[in-house]
Amino acid sequence: MVGGERGRRRLRVLALAVLLLALPWLLPQRYFLRVVDLGLVYAVLALGLQLLVGSAGQLSLGHAAFYGTGAYTSAILTRKLGLPVELSFVAGGVVAALLGVTLVPILRLRGNELAVATLGFGVIVHAIILNEEWLTEGPFGMMRIPSFRLGPFVFDNEFRFYFLGLAMVVLTYLAFRRLTRSRFGRALEAIRQSEEAAVTSGINPVLYKSKVFVIAAFTAGLAGTLFAHLNRYLNPNDFTLAESINVLIMIVVGGLRSLEGAIVGAMIIVFASEYLRAFKEYRLILFGVMLVLLMALGADGLRGLPSALARRLHRG
Amino acid sequence: MILDPLIGGIAMGCIYSLIALGYNMLIRAMNLLHFAQGEVMMVGALAGVTLVSGLRVPYLVAIPVIMVICAALSLALDALAYRPIRRRNVPVINLIIATLGVSIVLSNGAILIWGAEPIRYPTIYGSGALLLGPVRIPPQFLAPLLVGGGLMVALQFFFTKSLVGIAMRAAAQDRDTARLMGIDIDRTIQYTFAISGAMGGAAGALLGPIIFASFNMGEIIGIKAFVAATLGGLGSMPGAMVGGIVFGVIETFAALFISSGYKDALGYGVMIAILLVAPSGLFGRRARA
Repeated sequence: MVGGERGRRRLRVLALAVLLLALPWLLPQRYFLRVVDLGLVYAVLALGLQLLVGSAGQLSLGHAAFYGTGAYTSAILTRKLGLPVELSFVAGGVVAALLGVTLVPILRLRGNELAVATLGFGVIVHAIILNEEWLTEGPFGMMRIPSFRLGPFVFDNEFRFYFLGLAMVVLTYLAFRRLTRSRFGRALEAIRQSEEAAVTSGINPVLYKSKVFVIAAFTAGLAGTLFAHLNRYLNPNDFTLAESINVLIMIVVGGLRSLEGAIVGAMIIVFASEYLRAFKEYRLILFGVMLVLLMALGADGLRGLPSALARRLHRG
Repeated sequence: MILDPLIGGIAMGCIYSLIALGYNMLIRAMNLLHFAQGEVMMVGALAGVTLVSGLRVPYLVAIPVIMVICAALSLALDALAYRPIRRRNVPVINLIIATLGVSIVLSNGAILIWGAEPIRYPTIYGSGALLLGPVRIPPQFLAPLLVGGGLMVALQFFFTKSLVGIAMRAAAQDRDTARLMGIDIDRTIQYTFAISGAMGGAAGALLGPIIFASFNMGEIIGIKAFVAATLGGLGSMPGAMVGGIVFGVIETFAALFISSGYKDALGYGVMIAILLVAPSGLFGRRARA
């Protein structure tokens, strides 16, 4: 028998994998699956931002710019140039990453100033998407984007897309887990705690920050292409400051620095925004109140809730 | 004439400055990016509609009333939302997101009260303009220039001459030392919220007659004022004043020379350029390592 802690962990991972793969059969409602699919796209996006904000401590308010760049790149390449989705998918990530490279000079800024500069960048990219109608079709949005496909597999409904989204989340998660546990991750941790101390340990903060920024941009670009081929319609207003803030909310709700938290946070926020629709005009008010209450949970977000409750019970 | 847009830009800039002062006071006092500042301004503008159109209060009387309402609102936000969170020693990003939550609640609450349609202020100003030599000041810009300018001067006096103002500056500069000197830190933070709320209210009351008052004006104008605050230097009082006016002027001239679709984007582009040259803004206090 597989014994001990390690064996039990393997068993838990296996159980989770079976549960996730069986989910579309367990809960086959189309609307529900659609929301899950959207949640998976946001989970990829949130994982990238978690690396940037959580691990490296660089506050970005312009993440929707990279997300939108990826989405529009892939949509334009498939719709207007007839490129296969397999190629445009990669292109979406690469173009977003290149955009990230052009932004490297502003990484000299820190804290609030960096946040505002990225915010400004997001506004500029949104203005371009809105105004360059020859490229993006402007405020009416881009319609009839083809579904995602990989060779013989077409992901053209909620059910099929689920497996694509799940695979992307798992791959991103595993890659980032390796990254954060490597020398690279430890360097980021050092920079987050004190840039000055990191420099004295021979770490070049600007180099590391640039790398992580480009990785986050690339991931956001991939998430954008997933969104473009899931939704099959893009509107400039899907990529505003509100969207950047939404992703930030996801990683804080799930718990900063936790990769699992980014995924859970993405699911919670997507589900909350969809299912609060039942409350009509009170929907956003409830969402706002929920945010304020969740923020009182502290640095670990929902992840820290069980232990906080346990402490409180223990105290009596 | 080049002077007309300049006057308009400075007038809008005074309004941005008032909101930016609110941002910078809160950043200086507690490193808080208060995203709901624009929504406090929005409540001021809509409350102004109710006062002036509904209750027939004269506009000039309504302005101080609105300032009191918004100061009270700002204090209430701190007491109900921010203070309980602050007590838990959470990271500052949690507090920032809580302010976003508050801004969502305020703007959607405003829809419930005032509806989603933009509301026009009753005609407050005549059509005659004030002529100062070659300078022509249209009446809707006169109030922002006079009231906004007056408030900024008054605030400057408050912070340099009054005991409460000096205590607030001391508390912002070094919390622990100020506490040892017998300054009640919680009290100074309440004063900061009240004054920043009053400034937001004044901005709303001045802005309402220029653009329509609506539930979403807080987001649009609030973000611009926030950029203005960064431009001047986050946490700096003179920075907020100068940054607001500079941003107002840039924006107005951008609208003249640039296709209107990119009008907003240009202001942000200039801001990024300035930050690259001066990473903590025009009047940044903090020396950078």
